[in-house]
Amino acid sequence: MKRNLITLITAAVLLVIFVCMLFTFQVRQTEVAVVTTFGEYSRSITEPGLKGRLPWPIQKVYEFDNRLQTLERKFDETITKDQKNLVIAVYAGWRVADPRVFLESFNGDMAKAEQKLEEIIRNAKSIIGRYNFSDLISTNLAELKFDQIEKEMLDVVQAQVKGTYGIAVDTMGIKQLGLPESITSIVFERMRAERQQLIATYQSEGDRDAKNIRADADAQANKILAEASGEAKKVLGEADAKASEYYEAFRKKPELAIFLMQLNAIEQSLKDRAYLILGPQTPPFNLLNGAAGDSGSSLKK
Amino acid sequence: MDNDPSKPEHEHGAARPKPAPDPAHGVEDVSAGALSEALRSSFNVVKLLMGALVLAFVLSGVFTVKPNQVAIKLRFGKPVGVGDGQLLKPGLHWKFPYPIDDVVYVPVGETHTVTSTAGWYYQTPEEAAAGQKPQPQGMLRAGVDGYTLSGDGDIIHARATLSYRIKDPVSYVFSFRNATNLLQHVLDNALFYASARFTADDALYRNKLAFQESVQARVGQLVDHLKLGVKIESGEVRTDTQAPVDVVEAFNNVVKAENQGNIKVQEAETYARGATNKAAGDATVILRGATTASNYLVTTIAAEADRFEKLLPRYEANPELFIQRLLSEKMGQILTNAQYKVFLPERPDGKPWELRLQLSKEPDVPKKETPKPE
Repeated sequence: MKRNLITLITAAVLLVIFVCMLFTFQVRQTEVAVVTTFGEYSRSITEPGLKGRLPWPIQKVYEFDNRLQTLERKFDETITKDQKNLVIAVYAGWRVADPRVFLESFNGDMAKAEQKLEEIIRNAKSIIGRYNFSDLISTNLAELKFDQIEKEMLDVVQAQVKGTYGIAVDTMGIKQLGLPESITSIVFERMRAERQQLIATYQSEGDRDAKNIRADADAQANKILAEASGEAKKVLGEADAKASEYYEAFRKKPELAIFLMQLNAIEQSLKDRAYLILGPQTPPFNLLNGAAGDSGSSLKK
Repeated sequence: MDNDPSKPEHEHGAARPKPAPDPAHGVEDVSAGALSEALRSSFNVVKLLMGALVLAFVLSGVFTVKPNQVAIKLRFGKPVGVGDGQLLKPGLHWKFPYPIDDVVYVPVGETHTVTSTAGWYYQTPEEAAAGQKPQPQGMLRAGVDGYTLSGDGDIIHARATLSYRIKDPVSYVFSFRNATNLLQHVLDNALFYASARFTADDALYRNKLAFQESVQARVGQLVDHLKLGVKIESGEVRTDTQAPVDVVEAFNNVVKAENQGNIKVQEAETYARGATNKAAGDATVILRGATTASNYLVTTIAAEADRFEKLLPRYEANPELFIQRLLSEKMGQILTNAQYKVFLPERPDGKPWELRLQLSKEPDVPKKETPKPE
């Protein structure tokens, strides 16, 4: 009896496993699924978990990766509105949005979906033709429309895929931006010429700035000296004014004051290495007049 | 006597004749017993095996989450738990065996790196091994030679490296098939976006830091928009820029010319500092000289006024004598101090002498001219 029970339990477990395998399937967090019955669409599953089904060949389950896939489109040459050639590569992030439509459009083949998307993206690049070169590349940030161009390309792609292929394009951006080969050599020539101009500019600006700085410095120095001279004159003037107060004392006897000043002046002027040539009338040598010619005449006088 | 229960049974049996054993029936009993024994043994083995299987089942569900990881347990493909409760922290955990449960490990503690070389020059393996730059070709091929276009329409080389950590493991793992690949595209985009708004000179030399910050800002903007679930710390985007080999000499010459210009300006600034400092020094000397002179003047005049006041009474007492006395005293001093003194007596004819003096600027030995008669 006991042996029968164990056998029954084992058989039941095996049966449950077998039934589960036949009648259930898993949809992972990263997946969506479509269930078809005799090849005809039955239902879509967008939530993860254990789901029921009828066994094959009655029902068939198609599971698709629901995560954002990245697609990189290689370089395409395009022309801007102002007739400048550009080569541009873009990337896109897309995912399966409607598993039923996706299955019906591409038979669930991700590669086919990417091919279609590449075609749509290639066409969307024609948006560049509505913009000038400076809308993509400019140091004037106000006229730069890099984001706007990317958004417009995304809008075009989204409009084409929405509800048609069962996919959604969530993001799109410029991956690389370049020039045709022949134009790169022209750009190099221009860059070299511009650098030559820059060299001349830097040299002349260096000379100019240096001269300006020197001239400004000289002017500043002269100004400092002129201001100092003016200030000195002012100081001396004030000193003269103050000194003149003392001159009041000299008014009491101007002839004495003048005499004393002259005396002082003589002393000052003959202070150093004086070479004196004295005539016979020079006091006190006038006393010698008599000695030279008529001796003692002056002395007597 | 016959009914005595105390008699042993075999004694009764011994009284009856024992039937002769059937040889065939004896073989069956032995076989059945052996089979039963074998089944019992097999059953025990099965029980043991089942026990072992149950143990193996239980132990097979044990798994370890490493210190730099978190794990997400999926039951029938659906994450177990909600929000942060989905994340299993480092340690020992248990799950039902596949296909009931499955575990996804996410290395949140690791720093991941993505490098963008879409704008960098192509090197042959030999050049890369030797650390050499490519030879100038006169042009660049789109898709082969990486480069970016600067805001002023020039061609430059730029590359970037991005380091990040996984901030939101659920989003990072379940929303993107290859988040690293998408980040690579984002970094490429940021590099071209930043290049398109900087002049070549700024990106290459003058404002490399701002260029790098612009790349980082763009990456942050796109990562937030896409909800990539990664965290990029400040300074974890590093960029490098170089001029193309075809024009690098021209760029170097510009840098050289700029430096030479700067040197000229620096020399002029040095001169300017010297000139203004000298002028300031001279001005100080002038002002101090003026102050000294003014002080001297005032002091001297004051002293003279004082002297005048003192001399005035004596002068008024006898002016002539006073003047002669002072004059004589002064002449005495002058003649004493004078280095050279020449006395010309009066000519006999009463006419003045003609003197001719030859004076140098600093006559060491003044020569006396011989007076010549007219």
